[in-house]
Amino acid sequence: MEFSHDRSGDTLVVNASGRVDGSNASDFLESLQGMFDPGDQRIILDLGGLEYISSAGLRVLLMAAQNLDKQNKSFSICSLTEAVGDVFRISGFDQIINVFPSVDDAKQG
Amino acid sequence: MTDTYKILVVDDEPDLEPLVLQRMRRQIRSKEYEFVFACNGVDALEKLNADPTIDMVLSDINMPKMDGLTLLQQLPDVDPNLRAVIVSAYGDMDNIRTAMNRGAFDFVTKPIDFDDLKITIARTLEHLAEWREALSSRDQLVALQNELSIASQLQQSILPRIPPVTEGCEVSANMEPARNVGGDFYDYFKLDDYIGLVVADVSDKGIPASMFMMSSRTALKGAAIGVREPEQVLTEVNNQLQQDNPTFMFVTLIYALFSPDSGTLTYSIAGHDPPLLVSADGSVTELPLTKGVALGIAPDVVYTQETVTLDPGDTVVLFTDGVTEAMNTDNQQFGMSRLTEVFDGNPPESATTANEAVFEHVRKFAGDAPQSDDITCLTLRRP
Repeated sequence: MEFSHDRSGDTLVVNASGRVDGSNASDFLESLQGMFDPGDQRIILDLGGLEYISSAGLRVLLMAAQNLDKQNKSFSICSLTEAVGDVFRISGFDQIINVFPSVDDAKQG
Repeated sequence: MTDTYKILVVDDEPDLEPLVLQRMRRQIRSKEYEFVFACNGVDALEKLNADPTIDMVLSDINMPKMDGLTLLQQLPDVDPNLRAVIVSAYGDMDNIRTAMNRGAFDFVTKPIDFDDLKITIARTLEHLAEWREALSSRDQLVALQNELSIASQLQQSILPRIPPVTEGCEVSANMEPARNVGGDFYDYFKLDDYIGLVVADVSDKGIPASMFMMSSRTALKGAAIGVREPEQVLTEVNNQLQQDNPTFMFVTLIYALFSPDSGTLTYSIAGHDPPLLVSADGSVTELPLTKGVALGIAPDVVYTQETVTLDPGDTVVLFTDGVTEAMNTDNQQFGMSRLTEVFDGNPPESATTANEAVFEHVRKFAGDAPQSDDITCLTLRRP
C-alpha cells in the first residue's frame, strides 16, 4: 500500500493505492490515523489507485468512518475502480460510507 | 537478583574448594551464587542427579575415575539446559577444542585468574537466562498455537456433515480452511417442509473472528426457527449482532430457504456475493442481488429478498470470496469468470459433483500459491 495526502484548509484528501487485505489491514489503519490532524474537519479518501480491498480492509474503513463520525467530522471515499466499487456495492458499504465519483464531487458533497 | 545460581565445581585438587569460597565470598554472601563441589566426573554426575537445581558446571579436565571431557558428554543426559565451563592447562588447544566440540560453553585456563573466571561465569549465566527465556516464550508460542488449532477444530466441528435427506433436494457443502483460523461457515437445516441454507464469511481472521462466527451462526439459526421470511431473519440477526460490537466485525452471508416440493428458493443477501444459477441446459447466470448490508455494522438496515423457481436439473452455487479471490502463483484471482466457466455448458449431475468441481478447479488454478482465505462452497440441486 502507498499513501500520499494533501491538506487545504480543514479538508484532508488521502490517496491510497495498492492492495488491502488481511496481511496489511492493521498497517492501513495505522497509516490512515497517522495522517489525521485534530483540525481536519473533512476527510476524503481517494481510492482511485486501489486495486483490491478485502473484508479486513473494509473493516478498517468502517472503524475510521465511525471514529470520525463520533467526532462530528465528515468522512467520504471517492474515485473507486470498478473492482473496488463492486466490493462496496455487494457488501452494502456504499450505504454506510459516503461514496462519490471524484474528489471534486466529494468536496461538494 | 532474586534467584541464586548454583554452580558445581569439579576438580580433584582439594585446594580449589577453599580458594573458590574465599574469592567468591562476596557473591556467596549476596546470594548471587551458591557453590557445590565434586572431586571427579562420577562424583559430579551423582551430585547433578541428586540436585536438579544446579545451573552450571565448572570442570577440570584431568581427573581420576571420570575426566572432564567424558563428563561433558554425559551432561545432556542429565539436563540439556546445563551450561559447562572447562578449566584447562594454558595452551592445551587439543583438549579445549574437544571440550568445545562436546558442548562446553566456554573455558578458562590454569592457573585460574579469578577476575576472568567471574566474567566467564557471569557471561555463561546471562546466556543461560536468555536461553531459558527463549524456551519459555517458545512454550507460550506452542501453547498459543495449540489454542489456535483448537479454535480451528471448533470451527470445523460446528459445520454440519450430513446434508438433510429429502426428496426433491440435493445439498453438498464444503469449507477448506486457510492456515489461520478464519471466519467462513456454512449451514443447512430442515425447517418443516423447507431446507434452510447458509453461506457466510466473517471479516478478518483469528480467534475473535471465529468467536464472532459462532455467535453469528447461533443468532441466525435461532432467528430462522422463529421467522419464516429470509429478509426478516437477516433483519433480526443484524439487530442482534450490531447491538454490542465494539470490534467492528461483520459477517456477510446468504440465507436461503428452499422448498423441495415447489422448487422455489427464497434468499436474502447481507453484503455477500450473489449465488450462481446453473440451469439444466448448462447456462450460467448470477442471481439478482438483494438490498442489504453486511451484518453487524449498522442498525435498522432494510433487507429484501428474491424468489426463483428451480426446474429439475437446476443447481444453485453459493460461495465465499475465498473461491473467487483464490490467487495463483502469478497473483491472478480465480474470479467470477472462471467460476462461471466451471459450469458453462456443463450442468452438474449432482450437488456433490458440482461442489467437487468448484474445489477441483480452484485447487488446480491456485497450484502452489498459498491459500490466504477460507474457501467455502455450498451447492443445491433440484433433481
